[in-house]
Amino acid sequence: MQTIHRNPNVMWREETDALAQVQEALDRGDEVEETGTSVLFSGGTMISLNYLGTEIWKLCDGRTMDGIVAELLPQFEVDEAVLREDVQAFLDELAAKGFISYAE
Amino acid sequence: MQSNMVLEAPLTINWAINNSCNFACRHCYSRGDTHEELPRDVLLACLEKVAKAGVFSVNFGGGEPLLHPGLLEIARHASGLGLRVSMNSNGWLMDREMAAALRDAGFTKVGISIDSHVHEVHDRFRGVAGSHGRAVAALGHLAEAGITTSISTVICRINHTAIDDLVAFARDQGVGQLNFHNFKCSGLGLSHKDELDLSPEEWKEFYRGALAAREREKGLDISLDDPIIALLGARDAGSLVKGSVCGKLSLNIKANGDMTPCGFIPVVIGNIVRDDLKQVWRDSAVLEKMRNKKPTGKCSGCSKYEDCLGGCSARALALTGDLNSPDPHCWA
Ligand code: SF4
Ligand code: SF4
Repeated sequence: MQTIHRNPNVMWREETDALAQVQEALDRGDEVEETGTSVLFSGGTMISLNYLGTEIWKLCDGRTMDGIVAELLPQFEVDEAVLREDVQAFLDELAAKGFISYAE
Repeated sequence: MQSNMVLEAPLTINWAINNSCNFACRHCYSRGDTHEELPRDVLLACLEKVAKAGVFSVNFGGGEPLLHPGLLEIARHASGLGLRVSMNSNGWLMDREMAAALRDAGFTKVGISIDSHVHEVHDRFRGVAGSHGRAVAALGHLAEAGITTSISTVICRINHTAIDDLVAFARDQGVGQLNFHNFKCSGLGLSHKDELDLSPEEWKEFYRGALAAREREKGLDISLDDPIIALLGARDAGSLVKGSVCGKLSLNIKANGDMTPCGFIPVVIGNIVRDDLKQVWRDSAVLEKMRNKKPTGKCSGCSKYEDCLGGCSARALALTGDLNSPDPHCWA
């Protein structure tokens, strides 16, 4: 089983004010895709993630892809196949940047 | 799932924990600064504030951090709070035991200032005979202790044509990173400007050479912290934002707790003892101005403005009184 791990050298944090805003927006049913709620920094690269990205990032703690999708599915109203595809693409991007790694 | 955002707190803080120094460098920016230092307990509490605000790393400077009697305790406290700890030192007081103690206190990176590959030149510039030799020895002790090392070189009249020698020297010393700092014109740097600073043409030549070296040298990270290199079509790999990082990713704290946008801008925007870091970061009018620079003079209409944002605000402010002025080093 392939598991997914955050690179321990990545420094990261959630931005509390932005997160609070996003939660309010979600309650109202607004779009939150464009709002960053976390920032990740490693080896001179900084990226900021939106709410969904951050939730995925936080689940990269040795779980499998199935584990991550299972955790997210009840939280986001999306089709499982679509979610899986999105998560996979996102993780591949993080892996390419060295922010996560896959292990067997 | 990536997005843009305004950070709620700096990622990194440059912290001058003291202002004492055993050297007399001709370009030093902090000699005119306060000698008032925060008491131990207050400093430790301030580190807690900083960690709580979400700051990732602190880089100690000064002054010479090794002259601070509480350095190890401070670093231990900071790393215990989850902060990454690094520092810049002149290396004079570094021996084997100190390097090991620094590692045990949580230091992962230490930069040593070396201004020339020629020891006489460095010693004369730093005002202390034998300082080059001890700086080189310091790099060895640190590496032996397992701490990542870098060399920091302030580019000025004594070294600007010696790029290849400086690179070869850094390679010989086995450091992973070579930081070419641009000359800042603050503090003593301003008093000695005429003697040390380069002309815009000379800066252009220097950056041409430095960028070529950076291209060429594999396994040695040559960092150029000057936004003006946008003029040569280059972006520093380390530059995460447009223009310079000051007020956008990093903040400077002085020995007495005063916060300034960067070590080279003498404008106090708050005090870490008294003020809320996130609030200052969000509301400071000076930071706001640095984040939203406006082109003036030749910057209006410059095709590089979007990347360069007028260059280094500290230099513009020091020499013209307005941080929106074009960087005095600009050769455009
Ligand atoms: S004119 Fe202004 S924006 Fe253009 S390169 Fe010079 S300092 Fe930068
Ligand atoms: S103002 Fe100049 S010296 Fe200060 S951080 Fe910005 S570029 Fe660097």
